[in-house]
Amino acid sequence: MTALSILVTVVCLVTAALGFYYAARDLSADLVLLGAAGLVALVWAVLGAVIGLRDAAGGHPADRVTLYGYLLTGFAMVIGGSWVGVWERSRWGSMVIAVVALVAVVLLMRLHQIWPGGFA
Amino acid sequence: MTDPRTHRSDAAPSVPSVPEPTGASDAPVSPGATGASSRGFEAVLIVVYGLFSLAATARSSVQMLRDFSFAPVAYLLSLVAALTYIAVTIALVRGGRRSTTALVLCLVELVGVLAVGTLSVLDPALFPDATVWSVYGQGYGYVPLLLPVVALFFLVRGRRKGPEASVSAR
Repeated sequence: MTALSILVTVVCLVTAALGFYYAARDLSADLVLLGAAGLVALVWAVLGAVIGLRDAAGGHPADRVTLYGYLLTGFAMVIGGSWVGVWERSRWGSMVIAVVALVAVVLLMRLHQIWPGGFA
Repeated sequence: MTDPRTHRSDAAPSVPSVPEPTGASDAPVSPGATGASSRGFEAVLIVVYGLFSLAATARSSVQMLRDFSFAPVAYLLSLVAALTYIAVTIALVRGGRRSTTALVLCLVELVGVLAVGTLSVLDPALFPDATVWSVYGQGYGYVPLLLPVVALFFLVRGRRKGPEASVSAR
């Protein structure tokens, strides 16, 4: 689980760095950046699935509403951010992807606080 | 709400260069061809405000549904923050950088963050549970304090320079 958390963090941070780089170079999101954003969505979905399985296998998250709220928000946010990246053909579209990837890292940190047992 | 373009109709004999509503087919970055499809920095603001709308709404509704009496003042202020964020998001989506509504709402938001932040420092007893705006948005990395300042800066600048600013601001 630690490995998965690290993987999610690294994918998010690399995507964020790439997005900020694109924004700094005045590039709009291309397939590389969108692919990175897609990868963020993928690892986030895997994280959600694993947490869901752990919950179903007898875990006891103290606050299920918040837990799944964060997981769903994170996923929707990454998909939405990628969509803005497609639709906003300027550096700012790239920046949206970068911001969304950064927020995903924050959400992951909050997930660890919400259900520490799920990541143990 | 008034048509934002009427504010600037005195500046130039209007409409010679209204970008045609071309589809997404001309997408690959053609600088200068940023028509109505490109919002520039506005897009970033809309996304961040949208996220805060969601976060604040979810937070305040969950808190209120669970135990409203635990910290009524804090929960109500969270709700106010949530509604403000939703209103700013809608104003930005609809009116864009020249929206007067967005400008006023951002001012309200800034006053709200400062007032609630100060109140939470002076009288912590009122806040047994945190709000989005407690201690100037500490729990959210002070982004709630920064956000209205950045938005106001952007909105005022967008007004001064007019629609052309959207191109030079890229």
